[in-house]
Amino acid sequence: MAVLGRSNLWRQELKKNFTVAGIALAALIIGGATFASFSSDQSDEKITEVTIYSGRSEEFIAPFLSNWERESGIKLNVRYGDSAELAAQILEEGQNSPADLFLSQDAGSLGAVSAAGLFAKLADGIGSEIESRYIAGDRNWIGLTGRARVFAYRPGAVDVLPKSISDLTKAAYKGKVGIAPSNASFQAFVTALINEKGEKFAEDWLKAMESNDAQIYLKNSAIVEAIDKGEISLGLVNHYYTWEVSEALGRDIQVANGFFAPGDIGNLVNVSGIGILATSKKVSAAEDLINFLTSEAIQASFTEKTHEYSLIPGSKAPESLPDLASIGSPQVDLRSLENVQRTQDLLTKVGLL
Amino acid sequence: MKVQSWKSRYGLRALVAAVLLLISQPLIYLFVRASEKSVSELISLLSRPKTIEVLALTLVLLLIVVLINVLLGTAIAAGLHYVRIPYPRLLLVSTVLPLAIPSYVFTYTWIALIPSLQGFWAAVFILSLSTLPYMILAVTISFQRIDAGLIEVARSLGLYKISVFFRVILPQVRRSISAGALLSGLYVLSDFGAVSLLNVETLTVSIQNLFKSSYDRSAASVIGLLLFFVAAIFVSFESVIKGRDFESHGAEGFQSKIRRISNSTLSILTVLVIAFYAVLTVFVPFYVLFSRYFQNPGAVAFSDLISAALSTISVAGLGAFLALLISLPLAFLATQGASAFSALSGKVILAAHSLPGVVVGLALVSFGSRLGPLYQSIFLLAFAYAVLFLAKSVASTADSLALVSPQLREVAATLGKSKSRIALEVVFPIALPNIALGILLVFLTAMKELPATLMLRPTGMETLATEIWSFAAISRFNDAAPYALLLVIIAAIPTFILTIPRTAKSEFEQKVRYL
Repeated sequence: MAVLGRSNLWRQELKKNFTVAGIALAALIIGGATFASFSSDQSDEKITEVTIYSGRSEEFIAPFLSNWERESGIKLNVRYGDSAELAAQILEEGQNSPADLFLSQDAGSLGAVSAAGLFAKLADGIGSEIESRYIAGDRNWIGLTGRARVFAYRPGAVDVLPKSISDLTKAAYKGKVGIAPSNASFQAFVTALINEKGEKFAEDWLKAMESNDAQIYLKNSAIVEAIDKGEISLGLVNHYYTWEVSEALGRDIQVANGFFAPGDIGNLVNVSGIGILATSKKVSAAEDLINFLTSEAIQASFTEKTHEYSLIPGSKAPESLPDLASIGSPQVDLRSLENVQRTQDLLTKVGLL
Repeated sequence: MKVQSWKSRYGLRALVAAVLLLISQPLIYLFVRASEKSVSELISLLSRPKTIEVLALTLVLLLIVVLINVLLGTAIAAGLHYVRIPYPRLLLVSTVLPLAIPSYVFTYTWIALIPSLQGFWAAVFILSLSTLPYMILAVTISFQRIDAGLIEVARSLGLYKISVFFRVILPQVRRSISAGALLSGLYVLSDFGAVSLLNVETLTVSIQNLFKSSYDRSAASVIGLLLFFVAAIFVSFESVIKGRDFESHGAEGFQSKIRRISNSTLSILTVLVIAFYAVLTVFVPFYVLFSRYFQNPGAVAFSDLISAALSTISVAGLGAFLALLISLPLAFLATQGASAFSALSGKVILAAHSLPGVVVGLALVSFGSRLGPLYQSIFLLAFAYAVLFLAKSVASTADSLALVSPQLREVAATLGKSKSRIALEVVFPIALPNIALGILLVFLTAMKELPATLMLRPTGMETLATEIWSFAAISRFNDAAPYALLLVIIAAIPTFILTIPRTAKSEFEQKVRYL
């Protein structure tokens, strides 16, 4: 009895310590839950809102999406995430997906959703201004912007600019070239290399790069920063990273973009793109959004704001870059870039991953 | 009377079974997906050299980090508790703060500082720094419970301070050391952010690669199950090492104020080690983030900052609350005395803790997308947190419940109390601080969770972690800095609560050592 009496006393003491914390936590939970439930109400008879999964970051795409909201009077629920993870999520949701559209940073993730039969075929006339080679053959998705592979370099640090990716294995570039083998855009490039020139060629090239002391980085942006610092002279990246790094650092950087000779696989152009989910019941609104994003005005604005290529034939290139037609990007079926497992196995085999 | 206890006993078991079924969704998901592979595919996937290499690397990494944790974590905790140092609580908080920094942010900033930081030993370094707080917290809290009377007795019998530590104190905190080792080890197994950035392929990185590069969910699930079995073996191994604590019972009314060692060399050494640790884990990330910020200070969108903070607190809080609700029947079962069933359920929960966020996220996408409005609601996200981090609360509470002195239960039983009343009135009050510790750990880790949050949050809702990620994804560390700072500030609050010294110890508490 005495023991239990003390237990009560002890409990009161404890209460002093934890009641305050408990009340604070409960208040936060209730307040926050109310707050959060306000931000996600769903109800629609006619089309008042559309849900889009976006693998493009909020910073780049949100202004365009809110323009469409204003124009159409339809609210957009945007779910931001990593393109590949969103693709996996859509595959998992299957028939129950709440998404109407999927906007991806790269063709690979679009290909995965398409291969699972979860995209609806786009009606003829949707996105008609986009060059046909940037639309999936089965019209399951459509390209929005072009992202060119380039070699970024430090002007003055390289005597002779490379004409082809094979040049990079020469002694003149020993220890001066940066690559990012773990990065998705580099892997898409190697996938195209394997598809176009065969696995043997790709393996030899990767090995030669490695023995030419290519410097390994984690990300495209890290390569561009290293060029700016003078740690390396040249690196294989996507073209828009020179702007991205310069904007993040808030200053000009000593890095320029260069292209290989026309037709070289190093000039691969990958796309960001969009498709409508087969389960969507809001196709007309979704189509309207695609038409909006592929319209001439918005495409021009993409080029200006995000420095990516417009996919409308004859459109203006991003500042200081040659236009898309004159790059001579290799004819690669972008749908073939979907599965990079073989690429990763190869990179592992040669010791770059 | 007999019938009633039979009923309550099996009723409780049924409840626990239901809870287990609910939180086993990720495991069920892995089994379903993995079973899509034929037996020959399974064998070839598991026996390929790559898998074996990754498995070996994961095991070695796990063992080294856990070993470092045991040695360094126990030493730091001992310094914090037994050496006379200035501002002991502040120092304790600074060793726990790293818990609030997301693994990918922490690693990013280290790579920004040392671009060549890559590979296995870099992973050992980063993961050891990230997991030490679990060990320090677990051990410090159990130091606080040791009967100081026993130490006095040992000294009066002529034992040297060092021998007191090894012969009297250490045996009593073995259980906490092993709980800390468990949490650190499971962290190593489930971490993705650090190892992927350091180019070290562990099982978790393999799983993510299979999901993301070939969209092969079945192969990813096979590796996921392999990870689960590794964790299950680790968890069983741990309970063997843990062994049985010996419990000390001080004399009633003994003043248990701890006498700290006043040795200036030891004090300086302790403070230096802790300061060095804080520099590596807290100062470095903030130095890098803020030097980026001040290189290019952007306008901070305060409304985004505040709404992200509120979302983070509410969902993480709800997740911690759900974890508490779920762990109650489990804990209750544990108080009914050790049984094979309760031991097994505890182990399943602990091993499931090794599953990375992307697996739990996708499993709950698969399961939750059939639930209509519940899908992508804060409740499903909170449930995901509870599933992901339940082990943190179970690890902290289960042992404390099991250790409530049997004599005390017998006393209560002779007073005619039923088993459930004993649990409610005697056992739970004793375990309350540990339950609170577990819940706060869930809250802290849920706040920085990323992969499951990205998949399960309500569309349009952003948390501090998703905002940091979205800026980091486009190299805008400058814009990420304010969000990271706020995350750490918010995390510091429950951390302070966690470290409130339990000076108001009752005689009762001295009488019953429970951890």
